[in-house]
Amino acid sequence: MRNSKKVAKWEYKKNMKSKSFIISLLLTPALFLLFAFLPGLFDSLSQKDEVNVYVQDEINALKGIEPSLKAQGITWNIEKTDKNMSSYIKEHENTAYLLLDETAVDNGRLEVFTNESMPQTFDQELSALAGSIQLLQLESLSLTPEQTNLITQGISIESVAVSEETKEENPLKRLVPGILAGAILLSVITTGMMIFQSASGEKKEKVSEIVLSSITPGELMQGKIIGYFALGMTQAFVWLICLLPFFIWKLDFPVVEYLLVPETIVLVFIAILGYLLFAALFAGLGASFEDVDSTSNFQGIVFILPWLPLFLIAPVLNDPSGIIAQAASYFPLTAPGILIIRLSVLEQWPWLEIIVALSLLIVSIWVLMKIAGKIFSIGILKYGKNATPQEMLKWLKY
Amino acid sequence: MKVPILTVQNIGKSFKDKTVVNDLSFQVFEGEIMGIVGPNGAGKSTTIRSIMGILYPDEGKIHFNRHGSAEIPKRVVGYLPEERGLYKKVSIMDILLYFAELKDYPLKKARERALFYLKKFGLEGKEKSTIEEFSKGMAQKVQFIAAIIHEPELLILDEPFSGLDPVSQDVIKNEIRELAGSGTAILLSAHQMNVVEELCDRILMMHRGQQVISGTLEEIKKKYANFKCVMHGVNDRTKLSELPQVQRATHQGKVTTLFLEDHVHPSEWIKNLPADVDFNELSISRVSLHEIFIEIATDHSPEGSGKSA
Repeated sequence: MRNSKKVAKWEYKKNMKSKSFIISLLLTPALFLLFAFLPGLFDSLSQKDEVNVYVQDEINALKGIEPSLKAQGITWNIEKTDKNMSSYIKEHENTAYLLLDETAVDNGRLEVFTNESMPQTFDQELSALAGSIQLLQLESLSLTPEQTNLITQGISIESVAVSEETKEENPLKRLVPGILAGAILLSVITTGMMIFQSASGEKKEKVSEIVLSSITPGELMQGKIIGYFALGMTQAFVWLICLLPFFIWKLDFPVVEYLLVPETIVLVFIAILGYLLFAALFAGLGASFEDVDSTSNFQGIVFILPWLPLFLIAPVLNDPSGIIAQAASYFPLTAPGILIIRLSVLEQWPWLEIIVALSLLIVSIWVLMKIAGKIFSIGILKYGKNATPQEMLKWLKY
Repeated sequence: MKVPILTVQNIGKSFKDKTVVNDLSFQVFEGEIMGIVGPNGAGKSTTIRSIMGILYPDEGKIHFNRHGSAEIPKRVVGYLPEERGLYKKVSIMDILLYFAELKDYPLKKARERALFYLKKFGLEGKEKSTIEEFSKGMAQKVQFIAAIIHEPELLILDEPFSGLDPVSQDVIKNEIRELAGSGTAILLSAHQMNVVEELCDRILMMHRGQQVISGTLEEIKKKYANFKCVMHGVNDRTKLSELPQVQRATHQGKVTTLFLEDHVHPSEWIKNLPADVDFNELSISRVSLHEIFIEIATDHSPEGSGKSA
């Protein structure tokens, strides 16, 4: 184990000093923030077009309307006027003219004259006036405030399934730990793929024999798996550090509180198992390929394997307890991703299924580690050629 | 008294049905340079990989005399493999420290030794460079430093001179001599017989996985190499071939080499040369290691040379 730690430290340091890794490490959250901010930025830019609304208030209703608009975040420049401004607004962009008179209250019809060039959101904002006009209508009927409230509060219909426990829980409480585990899985799998490059690189650079004169192939493989796991976790940690303040600032729910729940431990454990499975796969294969550029279709397929759950997202989200979701939870290559998705959306966790799926996954990891160890110990010294699947099968018999 | 560092006892290794090493035994002593030579495919690298624990022999024992356990004490062995390379995008110092760390060697001391050897090999100030920036010869010097950075008891060098220019060869040769002088046991595999003759205290020649010759250079030459006479002159070739005690003759222009029979006394033989033999230059010496090697490699049994398999 001591030697594995040395290899792990080496792989970790080597990559942490690599410019390309550092750039990709920081670029991911930067891109995320950019895409998260960009729509808001465009939005705020478009809002810079101030709207001037001239109101001819004949029924003295503006006093009641203005606070309501403010409460809804509408920031028009409202100016009172005594005359008809329709001809004026024709010449001025982002200008509207609004006549508040008895007709509006009696008929429920409000005419707003606008310039041809108005912000796209203006029509939507106008609908905020409807509530105020409705209130004026109700006042004209001499209703009591209670009666007015009763009418204006509207009717909401709620469906309650009696067969399930009706304990209400915020779905975000399940989703947030799931997103964290998903990000960790994504991070460790991408660094896990680097094990392939590391092993095949050592073959290509003909350095493995020197390394193996000091340690065993098993220690070398173990060291790589540990090193790239640490690298993946560092990557996930950096992402979290960069993005968490943004989430806390932008989202209106307690993100940290939702993360610090027992479910997070289970989901992160599943992500770690996922890493071990794919790390073994990539270590074994990396040791059998020297020239990454000329690798066969077979290798291309292997690189797709970690992303299989993505193809199943739609049916699994559609029915998280359905047959596809269940089958994919028992299939080791899809189990980590699918379990994380399912457990992020299911209200009640199917513990028996989880235990069976995780047991199958752990056994698969053990078997795959054994196979990868055999292929690695022989393949890493076979300089100058890529191994065929037949050769790899032969090595397993040694 | 010679202290054995490595004892190889009757090892054998086969790949499928092909025997690559068969019943091979030898020892390497403290402060000694032992040469292991043989044609391609003789089993040298398999023997070395077995000693390093990279391959496991099917039979026999490999014993590191100063270390009791059956496990190979990898941290006291230095190894320069035949097929070698280094991490291309990492600084030289980082690579050397990594290899030292793998051998459990103190890093502070390793850094000092790395700087010392880089300076010694003309690579001063290059510790932050990467291998990509180096020529092949410079890279090989770094690989050599990597093999000795941890002060090994036993240093195994598989073809250390391949690809090196004569100047770099001399630098490495001197270092090998110095290491042996300070007590390091060295097992050296090489193709260049002149280098082996120049450096090695003892030689083991392998062919088809077996030991065919072993001993000091003098012992080998005494035992296996007859005398040869090189003559510069114009003579009848048939007449020279038929001279007494001549096994065979080779001719190249005016130069004739006469391979003499076993137990020929050179001065007696010269005295009995016919008076009409023309030569303006004549030399008598033992057959070189190179010639013995060529004969073994090409399966030409040196008749009467006393060589045995």
